[in-house]
Amino acid sequence: MTVEDEIEIMGQRLNDKIKKIFGRSLHIREVDAGSCNACEVEVNALSNPIYDIERFGIHIVASPRHADMLLVTGPVTRNMELALLKTYNATPSPKLVAAMGSCACNGGIFGDTYASGGGVDRFIPVDVYIPGCPPRPQAVIFGIMVALDKLPQKIKKIEAKP
Amino acid sequence: MFDILKKTLETGSQTTKYPQIPDIAPAGFRGKPELLSEKCTFCGKCTTACPPGVIWLAEGDGEKILTLSYCGCIFCGRCEEVCPEGAIKLSGEYELASKTKEDLLTSIRRKT
Repeated sequence: MTVEDEIEIMGQRLNDKIKKIFGRSLHIREVDAGSCNACEVEVNALSNPIYDIERFGIHIVASPRHADMLLVTGPVTRNMELALLKTYNATPSPKLVAAMGSCACNGGIFGDTYASGGGVDRFIPVDVYIPGCPPRPQAVIFGIMVALDKLPQKIKKIEAKP
Repeated sequence: MFDILKKTLETGSQTTKYPQIPDIAPAGFRGKPELLSEKCTFCGKCTTACPPGVIWLAEGDGEKILTLSYCGCIFCGRCEEVCPEGAIKLSGEYELASKTKEDLLTSIRRKT
């Protein structure tokens, strides 16, 4: 068995995982917390005919109340801090948070200044970090797959609570 | 009508089969930077050249440690440009997503 065959089998398993956990439906709310819009362009590219994430049943929705997952871009500027917290609180549990782009991971090129928060994880818990400036659409798909690994644990945690 | 149908069939499906089949980045793509420990002289030029400052040099316990965090790296290629020894190379790898920040660190060390 060559390496390429192994990767192909791995990809098939990831595809099965989405079907099993979500019944072919994962809804994502994309939050722009002060990014430069390069990441938004890549998120738009995810739903075009070339990358077409709707074939896995991943949808980008217009309200956090419909979403299972938040895709946060940007270094969380002071003006977007409250909006991000409100969006997080409006998302029904179990929720996943993905920090997309280098700014969301660590502040990136904007750094840690008076106006920039310097990373999403200072404000809300982050499940998966997707570095890249901006990440390729394929890298975002891979990040979503990594985030899905965390979901069964989260569901168990909520069910264990009385 | 037939022309449109003919054109559609000739074009076929353009959707990538990405998670099933690995997608190799085009030539010149700036992906994951890699540190080569056998070439590095620990001069520290990359630490000053890095725009977001995610490469840092630490000294302690009789060894020098050069650490690079992919978390915050903007993949500009400045470190590769300034390195006199060619000890940093940007590869085409882009699947870097991870669950913790510690997984995104890479470091090389040498005894002084």
